[in-house]
Amino acid sequence: MSDIVTVGMDVGSSAVKTVVARDAQPLVFRIDRIRKRDLRKVIDESYDAALAEAGIKRDDVAYLATTGEGELVDFRRGHFYGMTTHARGATFLIPETRAVLDIGALHARAMKVDARSKVLAYRMTSQCASGSGQFLENVARYLGITLEDVGPLSCSASNPEMVSSICAVLAETDVINMVSRGIQTADILKGIHLSMAGRYVKLLRAIGADGVVTITGGLAADVGLAEAVRQKVREDKLQLEVRTDPRSIYAGALGAALWAEYRHRVLSQRSAA
Amino acid sequence: MRVFVGIDLGSTTTKAVVLDEYGEVIGRGITNSRSNYDVAAQIVREEAFVRTRFTLLERRIQFIEELERNFRLQQHLELLDTLRQAMLMLAGGPKHAAYAHELTGRLDEVCNRMRERARAQFAPGAVRKSDFFRDLAAADYMALAEKTAEPKGITFDLLCGIFDAAILSVENATIENGFERHIRTALAECGGQAAALKPAVDEVLAIDLQELGTVGTGYGRQRLPFPKEQIRSEILCHGLGAHAMFPGTRTVLDIGGQDTKAIQLDSEGIVTSFQMNDRCAAGCGRYLGYIADEMNLGLHELGPIAQQSTQRVKINSTCTVFAGAELRERLSLGQARQDILAGLHRAIILRAMSLLARSGGVHEELTFTGGVARNPAAVAALQELVAENYGARTLNTSSDSIYTGALGAALFARRAAERMAA
Repeated sequence: MSDIVTVGMDVGSSAVKTVVARDAQPLVFRIDRIRKRDLRKVIDESYDAALAEAGIKRDDVAYLATTGEGELVDFRRGHFYGMTTHARGATFLIPETRAVLDIGALHARAMKVDARSKVLAYRMTSQCASGSGQFLENVARYLGITLEDVGPLSCSASNPEMVSSICAVLAETDVINMVSRGIQTADILKGIHLSMAGRYVKLLRAIGADGVVTITGGLAADVGLAEAVRQKVREDKLQLEVRTDPRSIYAGALGAALWAEYRHRVLSQRSAA
Repeated sequence: MRVFVGIDLGSTTTKAVVLDEYGEVIGRGITNSRSNYDVAAQIVREEAFVRTRFTLLERRIQFIEELERNFRLQQHLELLDTLRQAMLMLAGGPKHAAYAHELTGRLDEVCNRMRERARAQFAPGAVRKSDFFRDLAAADYMALAEKTAEPKGITFDLLCGIFDAAILSVENATIENGFERHIRTALAECGGQAAALKPAVDEVLAIDLQELGTVGTGYGRQRLPFPKEQIRSEILCHGLGAHAMFPGTRTVLDIGGQDTKAIQLDSEGIVTSFQMNDRCAAGCGRYLGYIADEMNLGLHELGPIAQQSTQRVKINSTCTVFAGAELRERLSLGQARQDILAGLHRAIILRAMSLLARSGGVHEELTFTGGVARNPAAVAALQELVAENYGARTLNTSSDSIYTGALGAALFARRAAERMAA
């Protein structure tokens, strides 16, 4: 049997994540931030660059599946809902996962999953972007630091400054004020992380999560946020072990690539029969 | 000054035209032909000379516009240089050591292109997307960076990161002696007319501006380095400012960057009641600012585009960030941007309407102030909704309405000084 190459593309509101897999084993992980560029162009670039890195031609892809806002990928074969792809990606990366906390640019989602990555229950943040990834990205920009530096800085904080306002857009001015008051960047970030974490822990509590929680989505690489979630979990005395994986930010795209492999197999069997 | 005069003595009217040495018309005159042709010719010549002198005055004024434009360009160029230095310093840091040479080269190239573009941005009649250096520089930089960036190595993300860090240091540097700093270079750039206004420029330079009183207001008023008695609430200042601009004002709607205020005034400009929005960006100026950023448009451009709408879209999201996402989604679905923008403008004014209702309604006359009052689509939406809910009302706006709060504060400063003197 020949190798089955599948691709998962997770089109978020802030970045496009692409994963190339062969026989349900990921080969290439790629992220391209959109930063106001033409989304279709970013999608095309990301797809071609990921395939080039894997040494694969477009024609050799058996199944391209999208997730997130994948409607714009008009060359896709299928589309999977974000919840199923994140659940699948998270359980692939960390098999003990029993809950997934997907923190994206706009929404955060907590899902309770079983060992087969079936979603048992879920909760989402409401129609307000307070504490979203977009908010954190804006804050980082105002502080003049890159997103990669946010986590380590937050972890080094000694005296976190709690954020008073919750509006994602207006909190930016609060941040500017904090800077002008001489508050350390690390303490500002930690305060923001803690306020975000507080909201996520509420979601986890609402779905009755226990055991291993895996953080996925664009903010999964933020070690400061993960640390803040752990702190809030301890404060709330929840029986949860919060984990991330270096590839957690690709969980959606990875899940899509894995589901694509599954669907391709089912379809091939069906056409063979 | 040497001139040429042509006189056309007609049967009914007598016309005169004055040319300068270069053959440009600088004056025209006309009078009725009368029984005495000599007098008619005399009068029409004098008329044309009067007009000529006004033309010469106009040329001076045009020259002042040119001078100010040159001045702004010099200011902009200086900031661009500071930005370049800040970026090159960052690029030379240990973090980028592996590819510093390549990165420095790219940044230099981008900065050179930005300098070239600056000339066009400050050319006569050019419309700038923003009044602020940060916005102008960011728009140019991002466009140029996208072109020069590679998928690997010097990536778009890397270039953006360097700009984001550098612009902070540029913005946070204060500049002393603003006028003196650039006025001579700007004057020299004006060429022929420069000599004529040099004495005036020197005279203005020598004027000592004595600050007899200063009052602070606004969102950040507590942080201003002023004593307490020199701070006034923004409600009071907006009330007084609106009253000074439009004495008939009884209701003020102020939509600022992150506050929306509905204020009721008495006939003296004293506040009788007011309402402010909760701390949520939906319904205040930042909402439109955020949308403009999303669309890569200048804030000034939003209103005129929205006004082209023929079929307004209803926006479902309340939250600013979600409205931004909804906008992107609708755009990618192929909906017209003017129709989406019209919906967004109505959304912000709908939020203001509930604030107005809670403050006591809309009374004759209504004055609309704050940055958003500069936006014609927001004004039109307000007019429409006020008429629907309260009937016909006079709606005052002014192109200077963004300064209403500062005007009120300055009036308080003047009052205080007068009281001290008395």
